[in-house]
Amino acid sequence: MAQERSVLITGCGIISAIGLDCSQVLESLLANRTGIAPLKYLRTEHTEFPVGEVKLTDEEMERIMGIEPGTPVTRTALMGMIALKEALADAKLDKNVLRQVGFVSGTTVGGMDKSERYYLDFIENDTRNEYIGTHDCGSCSEMIADSAGRFKSVTTISTACSSAANAIELGADMIRAGEADIVVAGGSECITKFHLNGFNSLMILDHNQCRPFDAERAGLNLGEGAAFVVLESRESALRRCVAPVALLSGYGNACDAFHQTASSPDGEGAYLAMSKALADAGLQPSDIDYINAHGTGTPNNDLSESQAMKRIFGSIVPPVSSTKSLTGHTTSASGAIETVICILALKNGFVPVNYGWEHPMEDGIVPNMDLHPNGALKNVLCNSFGFGGNDSSLVLTLADSVK
Amino acid sequence: MSSSSESIKILSAKQISIQKPLSEEWMDAPERYTDDFVRAVDPDFKQFISAGDARRMGRLLKRALATSLSALQEGGVMNPDAIITGTGFGSVENTELFLDAMVREGEHMLKPTQFMQSTHNTASSLIGIHTHCHGYNSTYSQKGLSFDSALYDAWLQFRLGKIGTALVGSHDEMSPVFAGFMRKAGHVREGEICSEAAVSVLLASGADAPALCTLEGVKLLNRPDETELKAAIADMLGGSMPDAVMTGMSGNADNDSRYSILGDILPGVALLRYKHLFGVNFSSSAIGFYAAAYCLAKGVIPAVLAVDGKARECSKGILLVNAVEGRHYSIIYLKPVCGKV
Amino acid sequence: MILKLKQEIIEVLNLEDIKPEDIDNDAPLFGEGLGLDSIDALELIVLMEKNYGIKLQDPAKGKEIFKSINVMADYIQKNRTR
Repeated sequence: MAQERSVLITGCGIISAIGLDCSQVLESLLANRTGIAPLKYLRTEHTEFPVGEVKLTDEEMERIMGIEPGTPVTRTALMGMIALKEALADAKLDKNVLRQVGFVSGTTVGGMDKSERYYLDFIENDTRNEYIGTHDCGSCSEMIADSAGRFKSVTTISTACSSAANAIELGADMIRAGEADIVVAGGSECITKFHLNGFNSLMILDHNQCRPFDAERAGLNLGEGAAFVVLESRESALRRCVAPVALLSGYGNACDAFHQTASSPDGEGAYLAMSKALADAGLQPSDIDYINAHGTGTPNNDLSESQAMKRIFGSIVPPVSSTKSLTGHTTSASGAIETVICILALKNGFVPVNYGWEHPMEDGIVPNMDLHPNGALKNVLCNSFGFGGNDSSLVLTLADSVK
Repeated sequence: MSSSSESIKILSAKQISIQKPLSEEWMDAPERYTDDFVRAVDPDFKQFISAGDARRMGRLLKRALATSLSALQEGGVMNPDAIITGTGFGSVENTELFLDAMVREGEHMLKPTQFMQSTHNTASSLIGIHTHCHGYNSTYSQKGLSFDSALYDAWLQFRLGKIGTALVGSHDEMSPVFAGFMRKAGHVREGEICSEAAVSVLLASGADAPALCTLEGVKLLNRPDETELKAAIADMLGGSMPDAVMTGMSGNADNDSRYSILGDILPGVALLRYKHLFGVNFSSSAIGFYAAAYCLAKGVIPAVLAVDGKARECSKGILLVNAVEGRHYSIIYLKPVCGKV
Repeated sequence: MILKLKQEIIEVLNLEDIKPEDIDNDAPLFGEGLGLDSIDALELIVLMEKNYGIKLQDPAKGKEIFKSINVMADYIQKNRTR
């Protein structure tokens, strides 16, 4: 199905447990080096859970962004600012053209890292009032956007673990509808006690390194980070003489409509999201060379997602891996972080390995353990499935393939 | 898919707020409040939600579901192509319970239901579960621009020809503790009532069904200067002149000054307001939208909405301008259904 | 003790319309009977720890222990530390 306006990706930025920018992340992916480690930065009682933290303190990130100490800012916003800075530089987007550029970010925790620290102060005194204003999701996006300049529009999507993927989809829709030539989209999320404890109360955290698609998998490891991509129309890229790093050739959003925290046994929402994305891209299942799975490592997700993949790909499932055993589950940011990982894979011709996998699951897919399993990578499918059944899939295509 | 130029109709709009729920009685005889914080008036939820289902839902979720099911029933669409909601603070009740327990009692024996229901997309996904809808489903959280963002997404989907029907809503609840936070952070200001609201709107393209009004366009602007704002409004109106402008004026001088530019851009056009009746919360703009839709449906703007206190006819259209905390603006244009006199 | 347990379950799971006498001591709690689900099981795990000092690390074990009121009460009697 031909698109009226192709959506190119002309820049990327990322910060995660496996690297503070694209080149560091690439290096870690090629070295198959995990960023999951014992808790170091978050102040919590639950130090028993391995996590994928960004290896910087808030103060170090403030220094990187040149923020005055004492300025109210949250960890989620700081990571977003750093990733945004890299994405804009990569796309050669100057501050003064941002007036025509849209901005969409995904987050769920927003400024909760500060809110949970100062909650009692919020109630009992006026010493931390400036952090009440940084609590909500929208404020977080505003801080990130404002650090770069004055964007045309700023909005925030909050669909749990598919937030950033949905942000990218909205950005692409804005371009296809002619609302903007350029939209920066992605997401950011830091680890907070709130959701660490929340996930623990649901008993879906692994006390060890997570093992997506492994028969002995026992849950997920939380991660944190941020990533943004610059989505651009072909005409605009030509006008600005910038080459695309990849093409966003299709995407799909569907609702599992099954349960608030569990995925349906037959993976209906995942199946529909992937199917829609393929149809939108005008591709057959056989055109997909790699799937970056949602693959959290929970017994429920990995089985459900396996079923959905088998329903689409039959017996010929392309190489699949989850990179969450490297980065941790970065929740709202995962859709963008994993999109950037897919772009790095496309550009550099490798397939990320499903780190930590050992035992094949009954009824599950067998993930990829080889950096160079097949021929060239051309089309990649990237899955993000959120609590509540908010399922989204993106199809990314190698830039050279674009005619 | 080719883009769609079919008109988008508002088939139904339902509210639960500090006025009588699921009713338009407020247009003639509104409740008047003087308190700083007023909770929404809830309907009997049993007509929409079974006890078994309701046991896990806080107030926000019950209201979101009740207004949604009511809007869907009235519009005759039980399986919309898209379900998109907005919320500024999400489920305050559950967030507060979980956070409070965690901070005061420690990080043990915390309740999973409270965490599960605290994520912002719970309303959207719950509606999806109840209606068995597998279509497009998303949630926006951009403070007072949340509904506007959700509506913008729906409008894009319609224009791209991806959907034929959409349920768009915005839901915000408050607690005494969070109402205090709203004031400390300046989200609710002097002269404004901190309130709650849940609004669900059913939209359909090219529908033959009876409709309240049509949606002409949605724009979101970040920090526009005067020139940009004027240009955006002119572009939206496309040379036509509305009967009135629905504003987010609230009685707070700083907030209301954001709308003074309308006197220059649209001299002589009546200004409307709703926050003096419905209070202020992050879903307020959805109330403004709902109110405007009913004015167009009835062909009359009631005196209680007019800043000058005069009732007037409504046959051309209503422009909605929402200024959010001095930076964002949304511009929405609603017109009467074609053929109405 | 059975009555207290029923009252605690009704409260924690917010079973507003149900009274202790409505719950049969041997009827299944999950699936049919009371119709509880996996999230309710997690809430009951929290209840066990909070009220009886019993820590359950494996959620899968919960399904056996919460089979019925009698089975649950029996387990609590044997393992309570409070």
